[in-house]
Order: sequence, then structure tokens, then C-alpha cells
Amino acid sequence: MGYINIKGVEENTYDAIVIGSGISGGWAAKELCEQGIKTLVLERGREVKHLVDYPTMSKDPWDLPHRNNLPLKEKTENPVVSKCYAFKEDAMHFFVKDKEHPYIQEKPFDWIRGYQVGGKSLLWARQTQRWSKYDFEGPASDGFAVDWPIRYSDLAPWYSHVEKFVGISGSKDGLETLPDGEFLPAWEMNAVEKSMQKSIMGHYKDRNVIIGRCAHLTQPKEIHLQQGRGRCQARNLCQRGCPFGGYFSSNSSTIPWAAKTGNLTLRPNAVVHSIIYDDKKNKATGVRVIDAQTKQVSEYFAKIIFVNAATLNTNLILLNSISKRFPDGLGNDSGLLGKYIAFQNYRGTLNATMNEFLDSYYYGRRPCAVMMPNFRNVYKQEMDFLRGYMVFFSAYRSGWNHAVPGDQMGDSFTQSKSEPGGWGVSMMMQGETIPKETSRVSLSKDQKDEWGIPLLSIDVGYDDNDEKSIKDFLIQGAEMLDKAGCKNISTRDSKQAPGLDIHEVGGVRMGKDPKTSLLNKWNQLHECSNVFVTDGACMTSTGTQNPSITFMALTARAATHAIEELKKGNV
Amino acid sequence: MKRRRFLSSVAIIVPVSILGPAFIFSSCGSAVKEEYFSEENINLLNEIGETIIPATTDSPGARAARIGEFIKVYVTDCYTVVEQNTFWTGISVIKELSKTKYASDFVNLTIPHKRDILRSLELQTPKHNKENKVEPGKGDAVQTGRTQQEIQSSMKENTPQFYPLLKNLVLFGYFTSQPGATKSLRYIQTPGSFKGDLPYKKGDKSWAT
Repeated sequence: MGYINIKGVEENTYDAIVIGSGISGGWAAKELCEQGIKTLVLERGREVKHLVDYPTMSKDPWDLPHRNNLPLKEKTENPVVSKCYAFKEDAMHFFVKDKEHPYIQEKPFDWIRGYQVGGKSLLWARQTQRWSKYDFEGPASDGFAVDWPIRYSDLAPWYSHVEKFVGISGSKDGLETLPDGEFLPAWEMNAVEKSMQKSIMGHYKDRNVIIGRCAHLTQPKEIHLQQGRGRCQARNLCQRGCPFGGYFSSNSSTIPWAAKTGNLTLRPNAVVHSIIYDDKKNKATGVRVIDAQTKQVSEYFAKIIFVNAATLNTNLILLNSISKRFPDGLGNDSGLLGKYIAFQNYRGTLNATMNEFLDSYYYGRRPCAVMMPNFRNVYKQEMDFLRGYMVFFSAYRSGWNHAVPGDQMGDSFTQSKSEPGGWGVSMMMQGETIPKETSRVSLSKDQKDEWGIPLLSIDVGYDDNDEKSIKDFLIQGAEMLDKAGCKNISTRDSKQAPGLDIHEVGGVRMGKDPKTSLLNKWNQLHECSNVFVTDGACMTSTGTQNPSITFMALTARAATHAIEELKKGNV
Repeated sequence: MKRRRFLSSVAIIVPVSILGPAFIFSSCGSAVKEEYFSEENINLLNEIGETIIPATTDSPGARAARIGEFIKVYVTDCYTVVEQNTFWTGISVIKELSKTKYASDFVNLTIPHKRDILRSLELQTPKHNKENKVEPGKGDAVQTGRTQQEIQSSMKENTPQFYPLLKNLVLFGYFTSQPGATKSLRYIQTPGSFKGDLPYKKGDKSWAT
């Protein structure tokens, strides 16, 4: 590789480099900059400034030429990303298009990506639940993957730390399986959901039905106002970027916060090629970057490096960081880098109707659903599969597309169509999957992208445990809907490929032993301690919770440790 | 597309015998040309739309929602070649039926006669009539955020039939238009809050989004 026009080393030197500006990279930047650490954030995509670069945020349905549906060309050209529920006319500019960044599917895998400042934090589904002690203990107690090097008590204060800043709405439910957090007021259930809650909890003593917890400011506090964010307006148009800063994103929160300290340098269009390892100093010294547009190569240097490129790209960067000391990827003496990838199982869904409650309706668009913390295999192994699933459901009255009996044209037809239909209920699973050595990503030996970086090859699939879990969920879901008084219950296995859940994790897992894991309990590479991995790649197992709040808590904890180590001169 | 296959795809709707030369596309297999959306045809689409959703004292109809213009954009950009051909063949059938049954252009027919033409086409799609709630990617999908894919894949599996396509275009285009969403339904871009349990009385309009 030729080095063209490299600036002086000093000019390109910072205290810390953060690779990626998404939900975890933004948190690393915030924590580091707040503590006076001169921080360079490298983002491979374009700049997206809060408010300024949200072109569709205030559009009405009729302002969108296809009324938010996808033109055929977009569907045809993007068979993968067009499967994503949020890839629609109003937000497709925030997604990676299939052709732009190819990858290799050894098994079907829908890799959904957002390459821009803020990454997928602009687009995420914003559901935020803490892990419980059972989730951290799972691998050890059930004998899969490897034991987490931390427990719930290690992370609990960091959950509190990030929740206060992010702003999480939720109810205090007092559940061991889903610990309470620092909550803003909860969203309400509607009449049907309340009735279902009563029926289900009355019938099953071990099952809880609670309102979703999400990163929306139902009642902003001083810390949120300081960020320039305001109350969530219940628009539920979040994926466009929010004009009110009502939900949390790097763009609305951590990045401008970090910038205000004067310690942040944000460099968009910076594709990270690899991390530079110095064989003499026995540590990483910097990052090799290719400009996304000019293809010019630069090197940046720092004492500590945070890798937050999002799960699979973090794996890719480490695998591509080759040195004499680490010929198989940075920190990869164990040979486990890129292995033990897992995701969450979304295949099972149910739909039903509810005949009553026609005298009730709702106002506004709530940005969360009702949820049921995992109730399977919590206290002991009781099923023919490992682990369990979170259940989400919501009830709604259908709009103009409900069936109307009789004449299908004219005044009375239009009048009937203008009124809401009956209630429908939809239910889905979010299942834990088991990380396995065979679930892996690797670098293509012969195919490269336009920046000369090897393509990522993904070999991740479902297993028998997932099939059993889906089967159980569909049976239990149908039974619960029936007990709740629902009718016309239908079950469905979407057979969707892994990846479409957008909850892929692992490959650089945390653990106690360098022989069986890549990262220690502070998210440092065991064998290169000034490199920290705190995005989804660090996860030892998946839990049944939405993962982002855990990435944020782990990042804040690791960044604080990194600063202490930096001050002690240990890294 | 081979002519025989093309003709067989419309045979479900109407006997081939009534199809005149106007129904045979010169370039089979390619997308429908711009001139199909002539001013005359846009006007016809507005009239068809208005027949399904007429203006009332309370709310504007499909013509006020400029349904013809919407259909032009949507059919051109979002429909497959097969769907486009099905659509235009069906429109030709409407034209032809108007002439053979009532010796007039559709746009000049009385309202009962316009309805009769559309109803005769609707009656030939029993599956649609049975389900009678198919709409790709709208309504419930917007509210739940989860059934979009399900609806899309079910659409893919079905062979397109003309009348359901037409009816869905009119309903979808109308209720997502400014007049439809704000006058026939209730639309608030920025609700400000969420209230879970409010009294509903018959006649109250549903939320547009």
C-alpha cells in the first residue's frame, strides 16, 4: 500500500481514536471528551447533522411521491435491505444499498447497515431493557459459549449512568427478570392491551405483561434540555430523524455533547482499513484510514483505540489488522476472532382479532409495544431447548383498509371506510440464540471492495434450538391470545434469514480466559490492552433483550476504565 | 410477453372475444409507455376514482385528491411489467364495456351506469371480494410496523387481477392524499402525546396514520 501525502505524525495524533459514530461509538466519544481526552471519531459514511440532514422529517404522507412505499427499482436493486421494515421511501437514504457494499453469504444473512454519522442510531427501534442476572449467568449455568466475565451488579450502575442521559421511558415493575432502571414516565397501554394484561397475568403466574421501555423523552429532564432535546411528540416517524430530538441518537445527543467539550474531532468519509500494531512497543499505535471518496490513505495515532464499527464490521477490521505478532487478526491468539456470532430470533409472529372494546380508541402514535420478559428456562432448565424469548404484542384498530360489507363504492362505502375497523392484535418473539464456533465471519481470500479491503464472508444460520424455540413460542402465543379472548388467531414462521433482526452480536467475545475469549472484563483485547471493543461484537451471549442499551452501558464503563488506565500510564 | 400468455392473463376478467385491437400492446414485455397516461386517460382515472369515492357534503372525492395523477406515478414507478399490463388491459376493458353496453365513453355515463361497469368487473374477482381488505403496505402495517413484509410477500404470491389493483390504487391514493387523510380521516402529524383509552362513538373518523 502506498502512502500518499501523509501529514506529520504529530498533526495526526490524538489521545484516543473511536472507530464508528453509531450508538456505542457516540458514547465512547462522549465519555472520553468529557474527561478531557482529545478524541478522533472516524466514520466511514457521510456527515448527518441533527435537524440539518433529516430531509423527510416533516413530510406528510402525500409529500412522498409513492406515499412511503418503495419504487420497484429500489426493491429490485436491493433484495436484501428492502426486506427491512424501516427501508421505505421516508428513510431509505439512511441505509446502505445492496450494491454499494457487497458481502458474501455462505448462508442467507440479511446484513442491514447504516453508513453515516450516527450509524444505525438514527434508525434503531429504540427499545431499551436492562439485562438481568439470569442473562449474564446463562452461558455458565446452561453450559454454552463461555462464562461472562461480568455480572449484572457490575453493569447496573452503568445502566443507570446511560439511562439518565439517554432518557428511558418505562414503568417500575419490580421484576427480577427485567430489572427496573432510571425511568421517565411510561407510555400507556390501550384498552385491549390492558384487558389482555389482566387475562394473561391472571392465568399464568410466572408471566408478566408490562409496557415497553424505550429511549423516548416522555418528560425531559434538565440533562436532556441541555442536549437541546425535547419531549417526544408521539409521531412515530423516528427513522427520519426527529425534529424534537424526542428519541436518542448519536446525532441528537452524544456527538454534539462531545463536540461541545472542544475535544472532539469528527472525520466522516473515513474508511478504516486496519489498526496499526507496533511489534516493538507491543501495542496498537494507530489506525490506517482510506478516504471514502479520494481513496487517499492516512494514518492516525493515539494511545487508546475504541472499535465501535458495529458488530460485523468490527470483526472485519480486527481480522484485517495483520502484523507479525498477530498474523490472523489483532488479538487473535485464540483463533476465535470472528467466531461465536449470534443474533436474535424474530421468526415467529401471530395475528388475531378482538371483538369487543369498540367503544374505545386512542390518540397519538406510541413508539413502543407491550412486552413480556422471558419466562422460559429462567430458574431452571425446563424445556427441550436452551434459553427463551421475549414476547412483544400490541393492539390497534385497523384504518381505512378494514373490510367493509356491502356495496364497494359510493357514499356509504366511503363513510364506512372512514371509520376505524375492529381491533387487531399482533405478537412477535425476540428469541435468544446460542453462539457457536461454527457461526462465524471471515475475510474473503480473493474478493475486495473498492477500497481494497477484503469482503466479509458470513456463515451464520439457525439451529435446532431455534426451531424448538419458535415452535414453543407459536404454541404459547396462540394459547395466550386465546386466554386473553382473542379470535381468528393465526401463527406464522416467517423463515426470515438471520441478520434482519439487526441484533447480530459476538465474534470478539468477552471472557475470563485469553484462550477462550478475545476481550477481558473491561472490553480490552486480552493481548493488546489499549484496544477496546464495546459494540455488539463484544457480546458473549445475546439475551432476549434489545441489545443497544447494554452496548451503551458497557461502552461508558470501558471508557471510564480506559481513562483511569491512561492516567496511570498502564495503556 | 408472448401474446397468448398476455391474452390469457386477461381472460379471467373478460372474454377474449370482446377485446379489440386496442388491447394488444405493440411492445409486449416492456413497460407501459408514457402516452398511456394521456390527459384523456388521467381524466378517465379521475372519473373511475370518483365513482368509487365520490365527493360528499363532508369530504372531497377521489377527483379532488388528483387520483389520476397519483395512479400515473404509482403504476409507472411501483408496478411490475405484468401488473402494468394487467392494469392497462383492464382500463381498456372499461372503455370497451362502456361502448358495447351503453354506447358511450365511460366519462360521459350516468353514475348508475359507471357503477354498473365497475361492479361487473368487481364481480369477476371473488377471491378479492371474499378477503376484501388487501392493501400493500398500508393501514395496519403502518400502525403495527410489523406486517409490512407479510403483506408484501402475500402480494408477490398472487397473480395480479385487474379490479383489486384498481380499487386498491384508488383507496390507497385517496386516503393518503391531503384531502382524503385530512377530510375523510383524521390526520395529525404531531400528536404531542399518546392517550391509550379514549371513548369512541360510531361515526368518529379513524386516524390516517
